[in-house]
Amino acid sequence: MGLHNGDKMMRYEEWSKLARKASKRSLWMVHFCTGCGAIEMPPVMTSRYDMERFGIAPMATPRQADVLLITGYLTVKTLRRVIQVYEQMQSPKYVIAFGSCTINGGMYWDSYNTIKHLEKYIPVDLYIAGCMPRPEGIINAFLELMKLIDEGKARGWERYQKYYDKYKENQRRVFNFEVKEEEKEEKEQKREKNEEH
Amino acid sequence: MKSIELLGKGEEMHGRAYIKLSADEIEESIKKLKENGFNHFVMLSCVDWLDKGKFELVYHMWNYEEKEHAMLSVDIDRNNDVMKSMSHLFPQIETYEREIHEMYGIKFEGNNRLTPFLLENWPHDPPMRKDFDSKKFVKQMYESIPFIEGDENEGI
Amino acid sequence: MKEYELFIGPQHPGITGNMMYHLWVDGDTVTKAECNVGYLHRGFEKLMESRLWMQNIPLVCRICVPEPDVNEAAYSMAVEQLMDWEIPDRAKYIRTIVLELARIAAYLMAIGSYAGSIGIYTLPQWSMGDRDYILDIFEQLTGARVYHIYIWPGGVRWDMPADLPRLIEKTLNYIEERLKLYDDVLFENRVFFDRAIGVGKIPCNKAIEWGVTGPNLRACGYGYDVRKLEPYAAYDEIDFDIVSYPDLGKFDAHEAGDVYTRMIIRRLEIEQSIAIIRQALKKMPESEHILKHPNWLRWKVPEGYAFARVESSKGEFGYFVVSDGGLKPVRVHVRGPSYTHGINVAEKLLQGANIADVSQILFSLDICPPDIER
Repeated sequence: MGLHNGDKMMRYEEWSKLARKASKRSLWMVHFCTGCGAIEMPPVMTSRYDMERFGIAPMATPRQADVLLITGYLTVKTLRRVIQVYEQMQSPKYVIAFGSCTINGGMYWDSYNTIKHLEKYIPVDLYIAGCMPRPEGIINAFLELMKLIDEGKARGWERYQKYYDKYKENQRRVFNFEVKEEEKEEKEQKREKNEEH
Repeated sequence: MKSIELLGKGEEMHGRAYIKLSADEIEESIKKLKENGFNHFVMLSCVDWLDKGKFELVYHMWNYEEKEHAMLSVDIDRNNDVMKSMSHLFPQIETYEREIHEMYGIKFEGNNRLTPFLLENWPHDPPMRKDFDSKKFVKQMYESIPFIEGDENEGI
Repeated sequence: MKEYELFIGPQHPGITGNMMYHLWVDGDTVTKAECNVGYLHRGFEKLMESRLWMQNIPLVCRICVPEPDVNEAAYSMAVEQLMDWEIPDRAKYIRTIVLELARIAAYLMAIGSYAGSIGIYTLPQWSMGDRDYILDIFEQLTGARVYHIYIWPGGVRWDMPADLPRLIEKTLNYIEERLKLYDDVLFENRVFFDRAIGVGKIPCNKAIEWGVTGPNLRACGYGYDVRKLEPYAAYDEIDFDIVSYPDLGKFDAHEAGDVYTRMIIRRLEIEQSIAIIRQALKKMPESEHILKHPNWLRWKVPEGYAFARVESSKGEFGYFVVSDGGLKPVRVHVRGPSYTHGINVAEKLLQGANIADVSQILFSLDICPPDIER
């Protein structure tokens, strides 16, 4: 019995290895310009850098796509749409994040409207450093992602399933953030003081 | 400068007319300038003077013929931040008033499109006011959210 | 008649960046359109209030992504007005060259994405590739491809390398050759005529009142250009004519203010920019490239209100800077050209348009969402 099961497992492993080998050669990315890094995507897509030679192509619909590019900072308003898009995509799915602003906020570290660490809200498979990444950097990131897929290391989507509750909790917190009661009281006191003056 | 002559007051500032007006005069003045060639409304800005306790609204107008720029400035009280809408004079003022309403909380009477513009579900103070501390806000809102801990070989 | 609602964007290839239009559609005709922006709002104006005057330069260039140099120029000019500085002659000419190169790059991008929106997919492939040669010039001059942080208050950051004019000349010749191919594929193409003539017309008598600026205004027959109205950099020493409807050179003039005329104006202004750069390279004097500047950390800018405007490829860019004599600005307000084009003008033009024309109307207005929301 156990042997039989092990056999089945073996076959699943082998098949998924084969599937990974095939799918890494045709990565389709969602056509979604979420930030300023998207300005370097047209050169990568078109004649000069031509990413189609690696089997990467833009795709308008999330359901048919494999890779989601987060091209730079994300505002809270866009994050909501990004999560919708990410949840529509079918597994296996991968996320590549561009630039310093997705890693720790970058130059928008004190901006009230951009999220600082992307990986708190959706799992990220690969970061590209710099502001903004050069086309060569983007192509290199895709090649690196292919390597990770081949080795079975790009497993952010499994992580999202496993820690779904925690991710949802974080997303809920950023969408429904409210200033605490004590803060409000403090503010009212200040206002009263001002009026007295 | 033509705009200073037309309105009878104001000073020149770095090649542009800067005219201080009261809230009642502003509608008449914009109309008068519009009739006299200032037909391009450049923008409507708002400056928050926290220590003086007032908001300053600046209406920028441009005359293509005379090549002259007029800045019409109005002060409104910070505690009583209500202003009459000018959106019937130039259509794009509607959008500027929407933004200022959202960013500074100034209410424009007569503008019926003061809907959320750039921010979504924003229950906090208007963010562009000087007393909105964005560093503290960032600390409370974004930095308090925890990272998701997990095994090394799951994803990243 | 039944009406249905349609949401275009923010994740849609037929939209100009990360923004959204909410359309009410009756059959094939749009009856009402509403713009929804804010997906890119970073609160720059708030960030600038808490940074030093010099720290703001890397921020401002991120306000318009396809053409960042106009922001640096406008901000620097506003600060120079407050400081009462006159920048060196050589810096003026270098600024002119940089701004015009940026204009060509932005136009190439606009033309490419417009062609994509009417189904001519050859042109984006070409124009994006050609735009990259201009980015190569920027890389040699400034060290970066997109955000250059090159124009500073008081001049430009570095002098132009001695061998750069040769590279610029070579690239300009190449682009001029390529423009003939662009004409064959797009501007003299029957598909373009049939799709674009008479579509998305801005009513010419309303154009100025609606706040239309730049190439879109010139397509309505008004020859207004900030480079002539309020010459900045070295534009007052350079000889050029404004391209405006109905004088469209070798192209036929059809209707004022429609998609066709707007795109033809952009096509002609590429040639004009090439001519301006050639003149500027010839006339460029030898001198300092930047003023001797104070310590940036303790730099206080005198009190006052300043407004600087610059002609970008999308329209008039304006910076309103208020200082109270301190280390940091009190207020920096940006007037982006897309603010009027993208919201008021687009909402009115989309009313009554065919649903297949929505994308091309938006691309022909050349809307850039980051300068709406900042």
